[in-house]
Amino acid sequence: MLLTGTLLMAACYGAGALSSLLARWSGRLALGVGHLAVLAGATAGLGVSLGILLGTPGRALTRPLPALFPFARLSLSVDGLSAYFLLVISLVAVAAAIYGPAYLRAHSPDAGRARQAAQVFGLNVFLGCMTFVCCAGDALTFLLCWEGMTLASYVLVVSDDRDGENARAGLLYMVMTHGGTALLLVAFLALTERAGAFDFAALRAAAGGLDGTTRTTLFFLALGGFATKAGVVPLHVWLPRAHPAAPSHVSALMSGVMLKVAIYGILRFAFDLLAPVAAPLPSSWGWTVLVVGTASAVLGVLYALQQHDLKRLLAYHSVENVGIILIGVGLAMILWRREAAGGAVATVALTAALLHTVNHAAFKGLLFLAAGSVLCRTHVRNMEELGGLARRMPWTAGLFLLGAIAISGLPPLNGFVSEWLTFQALLGGASRFHGPAGLGIVFSAAMLALTGGLAAACFVKAFGVTFLGRARTPHAEHATEAPPSMIAGMVWLGALCVALGVAPGYAMRLLDAPTAGLLHGPAASAVVTARGPLVLSTALTPGATDATAISTTMLAALLIALTAMAWVLRRGSRRAPSRTAPTWTCGMSPTARFDYTATAFAKPLRLVFAALYRPRRAVIHETAGTPYVLRRIHYAGEVVDLAETQIYHRVQRGITALSRTIRLRSTGRIHGYIGFVLGALFVALLLFGVGQR
Amino acid sequence: MTGDRPLGLVLLEMILLVLLGPLVTGAIQKLKARLQCRQGADVLQPYRDLAKLLRKGTVQADTASGFFRSIPVLVLAATVAAGALVPVLRAGPSAFPLGDALMLLGLLALARFLTAVGALDAGGAFGGMGASREMTIAPLVEPVLMMVVFSTALAAGTTELGALAAHRGTSWIFAWSAADFLGFAAMLVLLPAETGRIPVDNPDTHLELTMLHEGMLLEHSGPGLGCMLLASHTRQIVTLGLVAALFFPVGPADGIGAADLLLGAGAFAAKILVLATYLALVESSYAKLRLFRVPQYLGIGFVCALTALALRIL
Repeated sequence: MLLTGTLLMAACYGAGALSSLLARWSGRLALGVGHLAVLAGATAGLGVSLGILLGTPGRALTRPLPALFPFARLSLSVDGLSAYFLLVISLVAVAAAIYGPAYLRAHSPDAGRARQAAQVFGLNVFLGCMTFVCCAGDALTFLLCWEGMTLASYVLVVSDDRDGENARAGLLYMVMTHGGTALLLVAFLALTERAGAFDFAALRAAAGGLDGTTRTTLFFLALGGFATKAGVVPLHVWLPRAHPAAPSHVSALMSGVMLKVAIYGILRFAFDLLAPVAAPLPSSWGWTVLVVGTASAVLGVLYALQQHDLKRLLAYHSVENVGIILIGVGLAMILWRREAAGGAVATVALTAALLHTVNHAAFKGLLFLAAGSVLCRTHVRNMEELGGLARRMPWTAGLFLLGAIAISGLPPLNGFVSEWLTFQALLGGASRFHGPAGLGIVFSAAMLALTGGLAAACFVKAFGVTFLGRARTPHAEHATEAPPSMIAGMVWLGALCVALGVAPGYAMRLLDAPTAGLLHGPAASAVVTARGPLVLSTALTPGATDATAISTTMLAALLIALTAMAWVLRRGSRRAPSRTAPTWTCGMSPTARFDYTATAFAKPLRLVFAALYRPRRAVIHETAGTPYVLRRIHYAGEVVDLAETQIYHRVQRGITALSRTIRLRSTGRIHGYIGFVLGALFVALLLFGVGQR
Repeated sequence: MTGDRPLGLVLLEMILLVLLGPLVTGAIQKLKARLQCRQGADVLQPYRDLAKLLRKGTVQADTASGFFRSIPVLVLAATVAAGALVPVLRAGPSAFPLGDALMLLGLLALARFLTAVGALDAGGAFGGMGASREMTIAPLVEPVLMMVVFSTALAAGTTELGALAAHRGTSWIFAWSAADFLGFAAMLVLLPAETGRIPVDNPDTHLELTMLHEGMLLEHSGPGLGCMLLASHTRQIVTLGLVAALFFPVGPADGIGAADLLLGAGAFAAKILVLATYLALVESSYAKLRLFRVPQYLGIGFVCALTALALRIL
């Protein structure tokens, strides 16, 4: 049954990819059929993953694939962890499939058939490869699907507009992600060489015999590869360029889901393939992940604050949220098999990370889709040129606000639940370690609190400047509400945000299989929902099972009751008149110039964190003859990513300088080159000759 | 262990906090006036203001969106819900868990988020200025506040406020460790920031150079403004209640009798009065800081909180 579902999923995505051929006759038909295939594939994916997650514990689906290569047996293997990530992918894919056709038609009505065919093909291949990365049962399938995912997403990134910026973003994405894939390839090949086979079971067995140093080296190679894909600081520079360039529903998939596939890879390597048989993971692994996670969370949100491009801002928030997920993952790695008996903080940490994975997919997907609605109605991504959209696009605005509250980690929505669990895990971890380790964990908790506060500030800015106040340009003035099918896609993800926030206890059952499977310990629901599905509880000290307990369900009920009461108060007395009047602007007639801009809103924080931002600004006064008559003032301000200037630009300068030196030597005279070849041969012979003896 | 505070008691405490919120503001205003050798308004003046506002009509900005009308309602609901999480009369975890200290801070942050969104809605520069400044200060206050909570939570092994208060027991300052003193010092630094008072904010002025929170309320009027004011009174007493629960003993957890509850109520009134006096003293003896000095001021709190945590863990 489940096997049929998996094959059905593959068939749907395959058929969807082939349906791009329909564009020969009608681009519209190709779009429709292609997205319908995505919807069918995602539904099949939901079925398979729920079947495994809710089925008998420990159930896994393994299936050999037809032998395509003489040297490797390809296979599929879907265990709890795979099924969970399959669920996350399918949930967002459903929304993208509903949203996509109307968006592509509205955003670029004059797109040629070739572009539409490429988009349909790319989307199906992208989703198919992503699902099968998670379902891969051997290294070769994993790497092939991983590469397919990268290439398909590259096609989608460069497909949207024919301008140079998209192409540059795509190129950077391609280079960075292939650097990461190279690291992965080394890690996988080192393992397969020892195992003599490609399937994961053999790799696991081979890793059992590794010594500590090799194991750690392999882990860091894999971590480097996956971290590039996940957009972890400082490997994130491609992300804020590539994600906004893709069509919005693809941005939702890339930010909401593709980064999670990298998280899946980290979890698979750390807890499954490379984990020692009965010993804890080397402590350097967990601490590295915790530190880069914390750094990503803080730096991601700080850079997001200074972005005025709506989609780019959201892309930086993905860096932040991946950081939050990695905090949970790192903590689970540190604590696993290191706690006293009866402790389950590692489970809480992993639960928090996995829950934040699905939560981030839901709210970031929602926010990207809402940003896409704005984009396709105004064709503007710069917030400073928007404004006043809440009156013209009420559904989009309301759903964006919902996503904004969720991503800021505010109760009673889903972002709060997973951040609460992360905090509890961090506190639990801190109370188990004394000394600097404990202090480091608590410091990470404080940074997480800072991240939450800054995210709230950022989304007040993003929502307020985009949707509230007056329209700043005609683009925003003539906007209309998005078509119903796009709203339906957003409502699906918005409903997920509310459901996972108000009743998170019911979602814990889905986390049982991955947590118990990875940690070989108690399952998530046994630890976190020990007091029934309505109450989340954790214990900071072993023994006490329910020391801290919250119930977002009860709280949501209380909030609704209080809102009803406050509404009565707000209505006031019926006799008093209610009227509208222009906003007070000190006696001048109000225009859109009075609205606070995004730059101004973020200015105080830019000054507070100036050490990190190193803001650049140039003010040029244009005067008429004397300095007392000002004709015009030019103002240009910019915040650059510290990783770009401090690392990438230096590397780039180094490479340029090196190639310049090489160019000086390449004179074009043939005997010069022969001399170089002879010299190189001599040196090589000398080196290897010494090695032989 | 479970069920020291039945749901009825929790709701009663919540209502008590909402009703007493304006009184605390009135008491602080009266104290400030006396310290400045003025007669000052009556302590009940905030109630009269609220009653007046709730009877008046509203004037809404013509640029405001549909969200604007519901902002005061949601802000008030979130703040009052935070009030349900503070132990007032008796310590101990509540019978049915609602939320812990992190949830309380989250609800206050939700109220702040919605207030700031409402401030940008009317499209005036004052609202934007207030929102921008408030959202600059808030992310700096929140982590330090969390660290203070953590430093107490690590000793008690829970973040549930009722249980934290129960862990504090009836012991007074004599049982405090160095970490408690430092945590309390951090809290005293943060308190004016979190309640929107000098030296961080000035609640008495509508001058654009000084205001944070007041700037965000400019476009609200009538019952809406009444809700926002009631929310800020409640926010103030909830914050004071949080400090009281973290550092002072709450009434005894055992005993259900009326005498115990009365004792708890008396103790609560005394604690709030002490903290209110502190706020009034600080407001009367310091000038408001420049906005870009505030991070340095909060830095003192951060150092205290970090040291408290270090002492607790090392």
